[in-house]
Amino acid sequence: MQRNFFALLSGGIFGLGLLISGMVDTLKVQGWLDVFGNWDPTLAFVMGGAILPMAVAWQVAARRKRSVLGYAFPEAPKREVGPNLVIGSVLFGMGWALAGLCPGPAIASISFGGTGGLVFLLAMLAGMLIAPAVRARIDGTTAPVESPRTKMDIRALTPTYAVSPQIMLEDLPAIKAAGFTTVIDNRPDAEIPASLHAAHMRAAAEALGLEFVENQVISGGLTAENVEKQAATLAAAKGPVFAYCASGNRCSIVWALVNAGKRPTDELINVPAQYGYNLEHLRAQIEARAKG
Amino acid sequence: MQIDWVWGFVGGVLIGLAGSVFLLMNGRIMGISGIVGGLVDRTGLSNWTERVAFIIGTIAVPAAFAGLWGAATHLTTNWGVIVAGGLLVGVGTRLAQGCTSGHGVCGISRLSLRGIVATVFYIVAGGITIAVLRHVLGVI
Repeated sequence: MQRNFFALLSGGIFGLGLLISGMVDTLKVQGWLDVFGNWDPTLAFVMGGAILPMAVAWQVAARRKRSVLGYAFPEAPKREVGPNLVIGSVLFGMGWALAGLCPGPAIASISFGGTGGLVFLLAMLAGMLIAPAVRARIDGTTAPVESPRTKMDIRALTPTYAVSPQIMLEDLPAIKAAGFTTVIDNRPDAEIPASLHAAHMRAAAEALGLEFVENQVISGGLTAENVEKQAATLAAAKGPVFAYCASGNRCSIVWALVNAGKRPTDELINVPAQYGYNLEHLRAQIEARAKG
Repeated sequence: MQIDWVWGFVGGVLIGLAGSVFLLMNGRIMGISGIVGGLVDRTGLSNWTERVAFIIGTIAVPAAFAGLWGAATHLTTNWGVIVAGGLLVGVGTRLAQGCTSGHGVCGISRLSLRGIVATVFYIVAGGITIAVLRHVLGVI
């Protein structure tokens, strides 16, 4: 409830700021972009004015563990600059220039923007609706072609924790190169051929300077010790941690339980779901851990 | 004209304060295209009340003040331009996962590489679009 109140408050201040700054006026926005015409610098002052308090807020957030209402702060920004970011920004810039509206002002001006404003908004929502299909297209044409042997799949649940299906010894250099410092084996030796047993993995990993931790989780038989050991390993790790089992499912489950109460339950369920791990059946268990 | 930048700055500070409230109270990044887009493509339904509350605020407060002192968007009357602009803004912001508020304000203020790159690209693309359509083709 409090959360919704502050969302309402924040949205209200945001709307007022857009109105006062003149960003709801398409002439101002187009004037800012019109470098070769009658250039209007107002938008630079809007951006500067907004970035100042926001930079302070980020500094305050960096000194706190949680938000005032007790929620986790966003993770460190991703650094990946891919085709979607660039193509998307270019398309957005073109649309922004054409009509002079970006999403915030388009919404803030509903009450006085007339039919044209509504039509713009509907077109924008339609664009948002088709965006996932466009993204799939871009991913399909720009994804590097990989040889069968390098099919290792690093599935990052957070910037510092990734899960994966069973890896091969030859995958370890790539794991090291990807910046991981610790590898966790969540798969009991009994499930795998001898050549991939933990002892071999450990030797190969340690030869590369990777920390190797065995925390073998029996499928369907996760223990409290498993969760504790994963938590201790994550806490002690010097850098990003890479965990593998048969599919990555067990690594995700242990992670979700370790983070119960530390991150929103929805996040603990939704993030693994992006990779096809369904943790919905653990919701009650996660909530219970979060409380006690 | 001289006073416009003062209002721009004051409005900008309010936008930054709004983002600060959203971050420090709710632990969230104030990116309006993400807040709306998560409802449109259903990826953000788990916290839909927060999203809807934010959008209500964004609409209601300007509605109240615009009634007091008047406001106008001066939007073009060319329907083709309006629809094309809306579609491009919708697709583009979701592909890039952010717009002026998320990448521009919230991203740059924490020196996010993605935020800076996105902002450079959308401003340059916007500048070129205006230059071509206004000064070369004379369309807008």
